Amino acid sequence: MRQRQRPSPKALQKLLARLAPHFGERLVTGAAVCAQHGHGEGMREPMPPDAVVFPLSNEEVALAVRACYEEDVPVIAFGTGTSLEGHVQALHGGLCIDLMRLNRVLEVSAADLDCQVQAGVTREQLNREIRDQGLFFPIDPGADASLGGMAATRASGTNAVRYGTMRDNVLGLTVVTAEGRIIHTGGRARKSSAGYDLTRLFIGSEGTLGIITELRLKLYGMPEAISSAVCQFHDLAAAVNTVIMAMQLGIPVARIEILDERQMEACIRYSHLDEFQAAPTLFFEFHGSKKSVAEQAEQMQAVSDENGGSDYRWAVQPEERSRLWKARHNAYYASMAMAPGKEGFSTDACVPISRLAECLLETKIEAAATGLHHSIVGHVGDGNFHLLIAYDPALAQERALAEDLARAVALRAIRLGGTCTGEHGVGLHKLDFLRQEHGAALGLMRAIKVALDPRNLMNPGKTIPEALPGEIESLHE
Amino acid sequence: MLEPKLFQDLMAAVGAQGLLTEPEDLRPYECDGLSAYRQVPQAVVLPEDEAQVIAVLKVCRQAKVPVVPRGAGTGLSGGALPHAHGVVLSLTRLTRILNIDPQACTAVVQPGVRNLAISEAVAPYGLYYAPDPSSQIACTIGGNVAENSGGVHCLKYGLTVHNIRRVRGVLINGEIIEVGNEALDAPGYDLLAALNGSEGLLAVITEITVKLTPKPQLAQCVLAAFDDVVKAGTAVSNIIAAGIIPAGLEMMDQAATRAVEDFVHAGYPLDAASILLCESDGTPEEVAEEIERVTKVLEAAGASEIRVSRDEAERLKFWAGRKAAFPAVGRITPDYYCMDGTIPRHTLPEVLAGIEALSKEYGLRCANVFHAGDGNLHPLIMFDANIPGELERAESFGGRILELCVRMGGTITGEHGVGIEKINQMCVQFSREELEAFHALRDAFDPYELLNPGKAIPTLRRCAEFGAMHVHHHETRFPELPRF
Repeated sequence: MRQRQRPSPKALQKLLARLAPHFGERLVTGAAVCAQHGHGEGMREPMPPDAVVFPLSNEEVALAVRACYEEDVPVIAFGTGTSLEGHVQALHGGLCIDLMRLNRVLEVSAADLDCQVQAGVTREQLNREIRDQGLFFPIDPGADASLGGMAATRASGTNAVRYGTMRDNVLGLTVVTAEGRIIHTGGRARKSSAGYDLTRLFIGSEGTLGIITELRLKLYGMPEAISSAVCQFHDLAAAVNTVIMAMQLGIPVARIEILDERQMEACIRYSHLDEFQAAPTLFFEFHGSKKSVAEQAEQMQAVSDENGGSDYRWAVQPEERSRLWKARHNAYYASMAMAPGKEGFSTDACVPISRLAECLLETKIEAAATGLHHSIVGHVGDGNFHLLIAYDPALAQERALAEDLARAVALRAIRLGGTCTGEHGVGLHKLDFLRQEHGAALGLMRAIKVALDPRNLMNPGKTIPEALPGEIESLHE
Repeated sequence: MLEPKLFQDLMAAVGAQGLLTEPEDLRPYECDGLSAYRQVPQAVVLPEDEAQVIAVLKVCRQAKVPVVPRGAGTGLSGGALPHAHGVVLSLTRLTRILNIDPQACTAVVQPGVRNLAISEAVAPYGLYYAPDPSSQIACTIGGNVAENSGGVHCLKYGLTVHNIRRVRGVLINGEIIEVGNEALDAPGYDLLAALNGSEGLLAVITEITVKLTPKPQLAQCVLAAFDDVVKAGTAVSNIIAAGIIPAGLEMMDQAATRAVEDFVHAGYPLDAASILLCESDGTPEEVAEEIERVTKVLEAAGASEIRVSRDEAERLKFWAGRKAAFPAVGRITPDYYCMDGTIPRHTLPEVLAGIEALSKEYGLRCANVFHAGDGNLHPLIMFDANIPGELERAESFGGRILELCVRMGGTITGEHGVGIEKINQMCVQFSREELEAFHALRDAFDPYELLNPGKAIPTLRRCAEFGAMHVHHHETRFPELPRF
C-alpha cells in the first residue's frame, strides 16, 4: 500500500481552485466547519480535513473525487458523523465530502418491497416517508445515521437476529470509485450470480474503496402486531441458555437483548423500572400477526421457565412496550448516571452464541478486577455484546486501565472464534485487532485496496492496517 | 499429453491414487451439467486433504498451468469445463463433516460434502441446511459456494451467501486464507461475499462453516390454478406486496404442467394456463394463518382453483412435479435450452407476456418453470437441433429473453452462474468500469489468472469484439450460447 502523507499546500491550492468555480459556497475551508467534520462520536482526538464540500448529485461527488485523484489529495466521506471508531478523522488531511445534502428518497416500490435512496437519507427519515405505505426498514443502530454511512460501516442494530445487518438488506449500490467514475453494483433482482459481489465488498469498506452515493434497499411490510416480554434470571448463563434454546426452536424473535445485573440496577434507577430486580434480564420483542405474536410469546415463556426464569412479563399495550424498550435504549445513559463525572465508551465483541456465556462471565470477572464502573448490554441473539466502561478522563491511569480492559475483551472474543467488532466497524480504533483476527486474508484485503485505490486516497489509514516492518505487504510479491 | 516434469510433480503432490492422466479416465471430466461444451483436460487430480490441495496449487503456479476446481460437476453454466492445457482439481474426496455445533446452529464441513448430506447429518438436532438447489442429492457444498446457489426455499431463507459463516480456502500461491467468522460479522472487507459466486476464479475452498436452520414444525403447500399466465404473475406480485414471504413460491405454465403430468402424475390441473405452488412453514398456527391470507390474495387475483395439501404425502406430491420439471420437458422435446434470467418481481406479468409473444414470433414452444417469488425465470425453449436453422432460432429467442430481463432492471443469471455459457452477455449487463472493477478484484486474489481462466468475467477485449459482432449481425447476438 502506498505510504500516505498530507497533501502539499500546492496540491491543495490547485484542488480548491478547480472545485471553487463549480461548488461556490458549497466548498468550505473555514476552521469551524472543518473541525466539525474531523470527528465522530468515539474516543479519538479530532483531526479536521483541509476543506469540506457539499455535493448535490452523484456527478458532483464524482467530479470532486476525480479532482482529488488528479491532484493527489485524500478524500473522506462524511454522513451524520455518528461513527464510533474514528472512521472520519482526517488522518492525513484532505477533502471531506459531506453527503448529507444527497437526502432524497428517489423511489419506493411496495410491489417489490424495495426502495432507492440517496446516501444522506437517514434511517428515521426513510421510515417516516414509507410508513404510510405500511412499510419499514428495520436496521436500527443507536444513532439516526445516514443510510450511506450505515452501509459503509456495515451497521446493524437490535433486530439483526430477525432481519440481519446492512449486509443482508442492501440490494445494490451506486459508488464513485477512487478515480471518480460512477459504477452500479447489484440491482433490483433479488438474486444474481453474474459477476463478483461488489455490493458486499463496498458494504463495510468504510469509505476506503469508494464513496457510496445511492442505495437500493430491501423493505419489509410493517408487522400487524408487536408485543414485548421481559424475563429475569438468577445468572447470566441461564439467560443465555434461554436464548440458545429459542434459536434452536426457531422462534422468530425480532429482538432479544440481555442486560446484566449492574446494567439492570442502573436502568431501574434511571427509568423507574421499580417492578424489577437487579438481576440478569432478557428483553424480547415479537413481530407478526396477532395470533403468531401470542404464540411466540407463549413459546418463549415455556423456554424461560425451563431455564429457571422468573417473573415473565408480557406487554402488549404500546405504552408499556415503549416504556420497557425506552429503558433499554437509554441503557448507556443509565449506566453513565451511576458514574457521575466520568466518561464512557463501549466495546463491541461478538462471539458464536455457544461461547457467549463463557465470554460474558470471564469478561465480568476481569471488569470487576479493574474497579472501574461497568455494565453489559447485548444483542444476545447475535452473540454481540457491549461492555460499557466508565473512566475518569483526568486520570491517565484510569483511561489506560479502561483501554486495557477493552483490548482484553476484543482479544477474548477473537480467541473464542468471534470478532472484535460485531457492528461498530474498524475505523482507526480496531486496526491492530485485525492483525489478530485475519491471517493471510489481511494481505488479500491490502491487495484489494491497492487494486481499487492504487493511490491510497480513499479514507487513507482506516479499516485495513498497513503492513508493519517485516510483515508481508501483499501476498503475491 | 502431460509434460514429464509436471506429471512427476503432480504425482509427488497427490500420489498415484490421486492423479488421472489416461484418456478413458479423463473423459468423465470433459464437461459439467452444460454438456454442449466439452474439453478433455491434461490431467485430473483428486487430493485427499488440504495439504495436497496446497501442493497441487504450488505445482501449477510454478508451471503456470491453469487449474479448474470442480465439485460434483452438476453446474449448468460450464463453470467446471476443463481448460485444454489445464488440470482439473476435483474436491470430491474431501467429504468429511468436521464439526456440528447444535447450540450455535453451525456445522464445519469439507467442500466435497453433498448439500443434502449436511441436512441428513444434522437432522438429529432438529436442524437442516436451508438452500436447496434441485440437484441437492448430488451437488457439493463447495460447488454451492462457488456458484452462490439458490433453490426453491431461498425466497425465505436466502441464498448460499446468506447461509455461510466462514470459508477456508487456498490461493493460487498455496497460501491459506480464512474469511468470515463463526460469529455474526467479521471486520474488514467482506471477502466471504466475494468468494460466494466467484466460480472458482479466486481461491480453492477447503473448509466451510455453514449456518443451520431449525426445522419448521409444519409445512403446507397451496396449489392455485389460473386460466391466464399474466393473472398468475400478478398473483405472485400481490402475495409479496401483501408482506407475505412464503417459504417457496413457484410457478409453472401449461406446457410445463402437461409435460410433468405425463411423467410423474403430480395431479396438476391440466386445463390451467398456469399454476402456482406456495409453501408456508412454521408453527401450526402460523401456517394456518398464512395460508388463509395467501388464499385470499389468490382468490382476489382470479385463481380458478385452489388446493391446500392435506398431509405431508400430498405436499411432497405437489413438489414432485415441480422438481421433475426439467427432466419432464426433456422427454417431450429432442432438445431444450434453459434460461436463468431474473427480474424485479413487479415486472413479472409484463415479462411473461413478452416471452409468450416471442414464442409466437419464433414459432418455438417454451415451457416456463420458475422461482416466481424472487423473480428468477427458467424458460425452457424447446427445439430440434436436427432441423436446420432451429438451433439458431432457439439461441436468438433465448438472447431476446435475457435482453428483456436486463432491460427490466434484472440480471442474466439468477443462480446458475456465468461460467462459459453467459460470458458474452456479461458485456451487455455490465459497463466497462464495472468489468474493470471485477478484474481488479480477481487480480488481487490471482494476478497470474491461473484459476479457472476464461470463465465468469469477460475480458474487455472480448466485449469489444462482441460489441462489434452485435453491430454486424443483429440476429446472432449471442453466438456462443450452448448447444443441447
